[in-house]
Amino acid sequence: MKTPSSATINTLAALGLALAATLVVLFFAGAPPLTTLAVLFGGGLDSTASLLKTFSSFIPLFLCATALLATYAAGLWNIGVEGQITLGAVCAAGFLRLPDPATFPPALALALALGAAFAGGALWALLAGALRVYGRVHEIFSGLGLNFAATGVTLWLILGPWKRSGMASLSGTEPLPEAFRLPGFAGKPASMVGVALAVAAFGLVVWGLTRTTWGLKLAAVRQNLKAARLIGLSPRRRLLEAMGLCGGLAGLAGGLLVTGLYHRLIPSISGNFGYTAILAVLMVSLVPAFVPVACFFFAVLLAGAVQLPMALELDSSLSGVIQGVLVLAFLAAGRMGIGGRLTGDRT
Amino acid sequence: MDVFLSHITKRYGRILANDGVDVALKPGRIHGLLGENGAGKSTLMRVLAGHVMCDDGFIEVDGTRHAGLTPTGAMDLGIGMLSQDPLDFPPLAAWENFTLGGRPRTRRQARDRLAELSAGLGFSLRPDDPVERFTVAERQQLELTRLMDANVRLLILDEPTTGISPEQKDILFRILREFAADQGRIVILVTHKLAEAQELCHEVLVMRRGRMAGRFESPYDAGLLLETMFGPQAAQAAEEPEIAGLAARKAVGVCASAQASDRAGGGPPLAELAEVSFSDEKSALPPVSLTLRPGEVVGVAGVAGGGQELFLRGLTGLARVRGGRFLLGGQDMRGQGVTGLSRAGVHFLPASRMEEGLFPGLSLADHARLGFPAEKGDIRDLFVRRFVERFHVPNQPAAPAASLSGGNQQRLLLSLIPDNTRLLVAESPTRGLDVASCAQVWEHLHALAAQGTAVVFSSEDLDEILARSGRILVFYNRRLAADAPAAGLTVRDLGRHMTGRTAAGAPQSAAWACNRKS
Repeated sequence: MKTPSSATINTLAALGLALAATLVVLFFAGAPPLTTLAVLFGGGLDSTASLLKTFSSFIPLFLCATALLATYAAGLWNIGVEGQITLGAVCAAGFLRLPDPATFPPALALALALGAAFAGGALWALLAGALRVYGRVHEIFSGLGLNFAATGVTLWLILGPWKRSGMASLSGTEPLPEAFRLPGFAGKPASMVGVALAVAAFGLVVWGLTRTTWGLKLAAVRQNLKAARLIGLSPRRRLLEAMGLCGGLAGLAGGLLVTGLYHRLIPSISGNFGYTAILAVLMVSLVPAFVPVACFFFAVLLAGAVQLPMALELDSSLSGVIQGVLVLAFLAAGRMGIGGRLTGDRT
Repeated sequence: MDVFLSHITKRYGRILANDGVDVALKPGRIHGLLGENGAGKSTLMRVLAGHVMCDDGFIEVDGTRHAGLTPTGAMDLGIGMLSQDPLDFPPLAAWENFTLGGRPRTRRQARDRLAELSAGLGFSLRPDDPVERFTVAERQQLELTRLMDANVRLLILDEPTTGISPEQKDILFRILREFAADQGRIVILVTHKLAEAQELCHEVLVMRRGRMAGRFESPYDAGLLLETMFGPQAAQAAEEPEIAGLAARKAVGVCASAQASDRAGGGPPLAELAEVSFSDEKSALPPVSLTLRPGEVVGVAGVAGGGQELFLRGLTGLARVRGGRFLLGGQDMRGQGVTGLSRAGVHFLPASRMEEGLFPGLSLADHARLGFPAEKGDIRDLFVRRFVERFHVPNQPAAPAASLSGGNQQRLLLSLIPDNTRLLVAESPTRGLDVASCAQVWEHLHALAAQGTAVVFSSEDLDEILARSGRILVFYNRRLAADAPAAGLTVRDLGRHMTGRTAAGAPQSAAWACNRKS
């Protein structure tokens, strides 16, 4: 057993190594390393406007990371989060086309739209889950396939049945009526409803996983599927529950993107939040307490990346490279014992 | 060949598996390596075969010192190990397995060499069949030919007689004798079974708690060997002949009374199988018909792959019922999975305890929580009352199951058997356990039988089947070959049925004949 202090030291060492690796990458990319880092990390924090921008990425990231805690708890590799976000967005946008904005109570419409988003994401995830449980198709393959399918569905809807009147444009569908948008914050489209929902979901999921028999059963299923079957834990149902919950929360994130941020359905609305959430969760080795921190960290990076072209004439995609290198270095340092124990097998 | 192990020390975390072990191995001899579970036998052999590096000490081979060996290095020195579970590649053909790890050969060369070697050893191995279709004995034979081809001069065998028939054991022992007699080569036989060591070995080394506890020359004093292995008290308990005899008598008594009540038309049967055919993804059994009665202890024998594995799994719902009628307590069990059968009172005790029965990373208390979900009160209280006091699981509720020894794993699994179980299906319940743990397992299984649970168990140890069961089922070639009361049967009778040689006019024992009539 390591003492907490040595674990902290190890984590800091891993962070240091990750930063050093990032600096090397920046050096070879021909960017001024320190200035670039300052823009990346400062860009998302230096003003109220950029903080709000950071928050608008934090909400979907945090929801998806929370969702992933459930599937990782059951030992599932759900990489279909992107598709689940997309389907949530599609369902929310689709639902809001139905009622008349002039007469239908907006709060109810929004609540129902978010419910539809949850259901859509859950169904998309359950497809992958059912393929895994009944068809022995690994969720990595089905998740990847369903991600592509979801993108296809969005494009078809935007260019086909849901196209804007008179023209079909990749800029998205007809914007939502004012009434059906989540209230913004300080004139910016950063919804506090989303933050509240994400925090509540996180609390509930973490409580369920760590304090209830249901969470213990998921851990048992992850540890040993065969034994779980023998001892009567119905592992198939448990796997589907974890998958459905994860998909539902990812779908909710998609619904929030439609109602709170973009106010319409746009192509690739999932914006890599799903994959980034996987990185965030892996970086903190599924330790719940650190998940919000990791998500905030990535949200800051995403917001900062937007500033790169303006401040330093660098392409914003460099931020993606930095994210990848950071996580890789951090995980490598951890696995090789520099960063302490980073496995998820705790009880 | 002269081999000397000096001060071998190997530590796994907090456990000192080998604690300064010194061994001198002499040319031309067969050495038995005995010891209870966790005594450090396997670790020592893995160090010698280069599978693990020792932390301290060295290995001296023909005068050259080696601080540590790699698998390739050990093979180059002529040290080869036949593992308990054959280290082969099941989907590959026999000749491919034979070639792997050796010198490069064409298909023709490999097949010729394999045929030549196996003919010399008296094996008949089909070179083009995938190894997954082989029996355990055949896989072992293939490994042996591969090691012979690599010119092994020191051969280590880890529990080689597990899962093979008495006749196959005789063949193996003949080969080992010839091997050791030729050019001063060395054999090390790692085993639990005293009788095997007495039959085969020129000298016996006994390990206890990571240390070399004694070296004995033939003829052996069994009592002294047991005492060295287990310490004085456990040895005394193991030696008591009453344990086996009494248990057998009790079991026979239960069985006889069950049969008596049957004749009287009394108590209803627990399970009725009428032309039931079980199947899983890989294979199927032809229809089986039999009746199980409450309180019966039924031993199931068979050479590995003989079909008894699938039969046991079928009883628990792990294999599908493809045809026939499977009644349990009068209810039709067709189409019921594990969940349905366990609701009906069936419980399964798997042979691979950690792989199928336990959750390695979960704590002992979590196992109690999962096993007794209805227990609403303090789980620690249940844990102490049931797991610790009744079943002697270590009182460390927070420790992960992965930290348990084989015996304690089985104790944990025993504590998880519901008390109201009506049919307990136990797959090799004492495999790899030391004498004291075996005794505890049987004490509990017989207690369950006494309260009316039917116990169906399999074992590779025919003596155990004869001693513990009231009734014996033998599987041969995926069929139920025999079903008879245990009383009066001998190991040879079972061996004959396990290898399907009853039709050849082998003399039948009275018990078998009696059963056929009834």
